[in-house]
Amino acid sequence: MSAPRAATATPFTLVTGVIGADTHIVGNRILSMALEEAGYRVVSLGALTPAGDFIRAAVETAADAILVSSLYGQGELDCRGFRELCIEAGLDDILLYVGGNLVVGKQPWDDVERRFLDMGFDRAFAPGTRVPEALAMLGADLAARTPKAARQ
Amino acid sequence: MNDIASPKAVAAPLRETAIPDDDFQAMRVANLARWPTGAAVDFDEAVAFHHALPPHKRLADAMRRAHDGRRCLTQPRGGFGTLAMQKALMIALDRDGLADIVPTTTDSYTRNEQFAAAGKGVEESERLGRSLLNGFPIVNYGVAAARELIGAIDKPAIMLTGTSMPKLTSEIGFAAGYTGYLGSGIAYTTSYIKELSIADGIRNYQYLDRLAAHYASHGVELHRRQPGFLTGTNIPPCIAIAIAVLDCLLAAAQGVRHYGLELAQTLHLVQDAAAIAACEALAQEYLARKGYRDVFTPVTSLHWMGAWPHDAAQAATLVSYGGTLAAIGGATSVTTKSTHEAHGIPTPEANAEGLRITRMAIYLARGIRLDGLAEYEAERTLIEREVRAIVDKVLEMGDGDVAVGTVRAFEAGVLDVPWSPNRHVKSRVMPARDARGYLRIFDAGALPLPRDVLEVHAEGLRERAAREGVACDRELAIRSVYELSEPLAMLAPDRPMPAAAAR
Repeated sequence: MSAPRAATATPFTLVTGVIGADTHIVGNRILSMALEEAGYRVVSLGALTPAGDFIRAAVETAADAILVSSLYGQGELDCRGFRELCIEAGLDDILLYVGGNLVVGKQPWDDVERRFLDMGFDRAFAPGTRVPEALAMLGADLAARTPKAARQ
Repeated sequence: MNDIASPKAVAAPLRETAIPDDDFQAMRVANLARWPTGAAVDFDEAVAFHHALPPHKRLADAMRRAHDGRRCLTQPRGGFGTLAMQKALMIALDRDGLADIVPTTTDSYTRNEQFAAAGKGVEESERLGRSLLNGFPIVNYGVAAARELIGAIDKPAIMLTGTSMPKLTSEIGFAAGYTGYLGSGIAYTTSYIKELSIADGIRNYQYLDRLAAHYASHGVELHRRQPGFLTGTNIPPCIAIAIAVLDCLLAAAQGVRHYGLELAQTLHLVQDAAAIAACEALAQEYLARKGYRDVFTPVTSLHWMGAWPHDAAQAATLVSYGGTLAAIGGATSVTTKSTHEAHGIPTPEANAEGLRITRMAIYLARGIRLDGLAEYEAERTLIEREVRAIVDKVLEMGDGDVAVGTVRAFEAGVLDVPWSPNRHVKSRVMPARDARGYLRIFDAGALPLPRDVLEVHAEGLRERAAREGVACDRELAIRSVYELSEPLAMLAPDRPMPAAAAR
């Protein structure tokens, strides 16, 4: 995609992708471009990515966070056990975000958010969240952490 | 990725020519053996079932009647994870929504042939009493259950299964009494899968089209339909129509004689009307060039496929205007959405409401046409020149074979789709919306469009950038992706906005 603008590089690595059998790539690609422009190293897995592929990529690249997108409603099924898979792979404290149209149908956001936080995601983002809001949250959450790369 | 074994295809070179009968019957046997419910497909019994359907439950008949009478039929999208939920949905759409065509959308596990995962989704949906699947897993349920759905409604039913692997859903759907199937080898392979090659996607749909032709040879005309919406985000009409024409030629080569073309709305009245007219005319032009003179190609218009506004009032406007655009454009049917679109899958009530809003708009637009309007004629001419430039090049690259030309053209970027998830598509082309609301091409990649045509596109985009005081760059294209989902206070402010927020 577009060449990253000269931004101040951060020491953090992020994995992005669209989970499960979901083909909605547009928003995820725009998010990944914005993350690169913000100076992150982004491992972009694209559409139709099984949970295991996120975790493998995070292990291989010593990622600090995984950002899971889901637009098609079946995210609730796809994301179950995601935190447990991370722990099994030794990624006990990796930052986990999820966002999009996460469930089937229009359900109260507080219920949906609770469901995903209970699954072990650190933050869940409601449908229609814009990139700057996610970038701000991510910056604040990562500021409190030591980059993975610096720990090894 | 798939949890069932795909028989290794005999690596015959890809050609557009019809699959020979013996080969096809062997392919059907192997296909139906891939999942237990395949065994219940009995072709002769299915043909008898279709012959016994009343004419008003046959979609091919309904589309021909609507086309003859210049009427615009309504059809929503819709699917839930259990038979009971799906039945209630289809009844609501038929009776409360006055749908002319009732859909069954399959869930995304089924579309990717992950039938074991779909089975778990059914169990979980039943346990929790709400659908966890985004559609109906028709392969898990099988022919007899799907026939309960056909029996529950008094309208024709269509399968909507966004997939590049339609071989089992189509066998089971047609055997159950569905009389329509949306999907095509080029369009869906570029939009619904990451790894599958264009050639294999074409092969999978050659099977489906050959199956539809096989039913036709037994007196059962089915409505095949091409989904021109592709990746659903700012698709300029020329890209959608070029691919629709190529998919149509591939279907005709397998023997299909009834092939609908579905175009997503750009939400520009003139551009959509011009696209609908150009699409049918160009399909017929290329069919004639290839020697097919008896293919029926009605056009369906599809409500906005990009990002939707969350505000129900703004969303209702898109639903209503979508009916207006389809009717004035002369579409034979319209595929509807609802005020819930930004939030995901609609409830049956919201879905039925979307149908009624659209139906009222169609009623109001009766008889209105844009033919003769200078701006409409200019846009139609522009689209036709663009499509001919692309399709002629594809045919040339394939030495006359549509399948071969398509594969080579994607490799070269001569065919290209914006924002495609598929690795075999270059996705260099980048559209944006211009100053007057037309969808134009900001970066044409390797699309073989004439220089003066590209200048028309560039001029409109420069005009917009100048008016808004921004650079004419990729940022404008990206902003166009979200534009119509933005809050009204930002799109059409009632008071001056602070300079920073106005961006």
